[in-house]
Amino acid sequence: MMTRRNLLRLVLFVAFALLALGVLPEAWRRWSVLLPGLSPLLGLGGALAARSAGLLALLGLPLLVLPLFKGRFFCWRLCPMGFAAEMVSRLNRRNTGLIRRLPFIGKGLALLIIGSAAIGWPLLIWTDPLCIFNGFFATWRKPFTWLSAVTASGFVLILLVSLIVPNIWCHRLCPLGGLQEWITQLGNRLRAARKPATQETATALSRARAGRRVFLGFALGGLTGVFYRHFGMQAAATVASREAAASQRGQGRGLGRGRQQREQASGEQGTCGHDHDHACGCGSEHRIAVRPPGAAAAGFNARCARCGNCMTACPYGLILPDLGSAGIDGLFTPVLAFRSRNNQQEQFCFQECTACTQVCPTGALRPLTVEQKQQTAIGLARVFRGRCIAWEKQEYCVVCQEYCPYHAIIEVERNGVMCPIVDTDKCRGCGACESQCPALPIAIVVNGRSRQPILAHPSPQL
Amino acid sequence: MNTVKRRSFLKTSASAAAVSALPGISLNAQETAAPAATVVVVHGTDIPKMLAAGIAKLGGWEAFIKPGMKVAIKPNVAWNSKPEQGGNTHPDLVKACVLAAEAQGATKISLPENPCHPEKATFQASGVADALKGTKARLYRPAKEDYQAVEIPKGKVAKSANVPKDILECDCLINMPVAKHHSGATLTLSMKNWMGSIANEDRRAWHRDGLHQCIADFSTFIRPKLVVIDATRIMLTKGPQGPGDLEHPNEVILSTDPVAADAYAATLFKKAPFDIGHIKLGHEMGIGCGDLTKVKVERIEV
Repeated sequence: MMTRRNLLRLVLFVAFALLALGVLPEAWRRWSVLLPGLSPLLGLGGALAARSAGLLALLGLPLLVLPLFKGRFFCWRLCPMGFAAEMVSRLNRRNTGLIRRLPFIGKGLALLIIGSAAIGWPLLIWTDPLCIFNGFFATWRKPFTWLSAVTASGFVLILLVSLIVPNIWCHRLCPLGGLQEWITQLGNRLRAARKPATQETATALSRARAGRRVFLGFALGGLTGVFYRHFGMQAAATVASREAAASQRGQGRGLGRGRQQREQASGEQGTCGHDHDHACGCGSEHRIAVRPPGAAAAGFNARCARCGNCMTACPYGLILPDLGSAGIDGLFTPVLAFRSRNNQQEQFCFQECTACTQVCPTGALRPLTVEQKQQTAIGLARVFRGRCIAWEKQEYCVVCQEYCPYHAIIEVERNGVMCPIVDTDKCRGCGACESQCPALPIAIVVNGRSRQPILAHPSPQL
Repeated sequence: MNTVKRRSFLKTSASAAAVSALPGISLNAQETAAPAATVVVVHGTDIPKMLAAGIAKLGGWEAFIKPGMKVAIKPNVAWNSKPEQGGNTHPDLVKACVLAAEAQGATKISLPENPCHPEKATFQASGVADALKGTKARLYRPAKEDYQAVEIPKGKVAKSANVPKDILECDCLINMPVAKHHSGATLTLSMKNWMGSIANEDRRAWHRDGLHQCIADFSTFIRPKLVVIDATRIMLTKGPQGPGDLEHPNEVILSTDPVAADAYAATLFKKAPFDIGHIKLGHEMGIGCGDLTKVKVERIEV
């Protein structure tokens, strides 16, 4: 039984799914930002947290204004996530009354998100339904890995919950619905206020209570945001101090060439040879997640909505959801997995490509031009001499130098064979060196940076 | 059928060499008697004309391509680099060769290339994708199923490799590299160019096992009918990707002997051919003649 209303919803569902799937021609793909951008929690929330709004934030305005006049029109007529949840809810005709006993959690969530965004550390924006919808469809791209399927979990979870407790998502949990519910109430109040003296005291009472609740919600959001920001900053400081420790050992930024020369003369480089997270205290190879280019320096984990757009946008399938390397609050945020993390991967963050930076609804990834991208260092490569074919086996190689688009591999002669050293002033961390390093195990590995510095050395590819 | 063609071609090229050697001024008797190989060097600026002149010297296209043949060309289109940067074979040269093959009545012209950069951007930036528009040639990155594993019986280190089927199944194989500096192999010329067609895992294995020996090993297996080296501009530094320092010899080098062609091209970089590991090995393994004193170099001005 297909009513006209549901037909429209179905069409929208398919259209948005196609956008999120990334199967449309390339010119269309950047429109995948459209659906998550519609949510004011993502676009405006992100802009609020960043204290700067791009044009993208304007996309969220309709859903702030529409409920004043039309109530939750978007929820019941347009929202693809709501459509899916409602259709699944229909399968269960027994527990339809269950939700009446529950409070509208989504209304609280909405306040929490906005309150925490206001202090610059938005929490839980990944509960936004449009982002969850997007994340599901962003998963089924090539090459498919089980890791990338993680972004699909929210959608599946909503459908499962809807099957057990029908309509619970739209009516009780959805933060975007909650936000619109607040605005709808505001609209009703405004209209009621215009009619003089016809309303009884009960309305006034509930109005006061609503106001208190809104205030408390915002304040709670703000407080939690402050709390998390504190820990987020601490984590960032730890990462930065690790980087500093690594640089003291010969690979960090700001290291003089003289030191490098001395090190290469002695043929050793302070390293314990580890290539994984470990706690030996050497400070040299604790891996830091490599973020996509344009990632916000502060509060990335908070501002990322986990919508999966950047993962779909990457033509090379480099961006995968993180499973803990960026901290517990960074779960499912995008990280670049070069070949040492994904042995199927033979591509790198290509210098001409800015696809992922164009599709972020929250501004966690800032849109970059090709020029800006080529000046931004997303990571830093490091040579493990003990594995390197040139350093260790004295064979002709330097594939890393061949592939490096930024001329960031310095070749030094050792017994007539050219051996690689990373020029830390030029390395952008694009992973080209890692993508084809023939050594087993890979002898040049890119590590992330706690923030992405703009390098002074101009890209030779511009 | 193949051998006949090859023999007739050898005859024409040998007689051409002999004829041109007749009025020789300072050539000694040994060389005039039997040059081990012939390299035709065409100097000029009009690339299609240069190719045509060089081919004419080698006996014309008829010596290489007969109607109905399947032709495979291996240009070097590995990097996202513009034609003037010298990172890839010049699109005009590729196009001229493809048009000639079409004119000769080739039924299939394939250009399998496994570039180092994403293929779409690379083929576009190199100018080769545009140059081939309107022709029946197909420039593509071979997918897994386009490769076939082959044995290299005479290989000392590299015993097998995955080679695009179009290269294995063609009737006329043309190697069309660009001459440039190479950080790992010193120079990349025709023999090294085959690394641009094999699968990535083979490339990595070759680096592990000894790059120069593996390059030479593969050349014992793969025998192009014709080698055309693009030396219209050569990258002297920062190769193979560039951008690096350029020089403009304005030359196209043609030969049927890859080692001889490489040996001559090495001199453009002011290198002794035998200082390049794979040229020396290629010579020693009998793939061709890298000793330029035994090679007949014919110069043409266009």
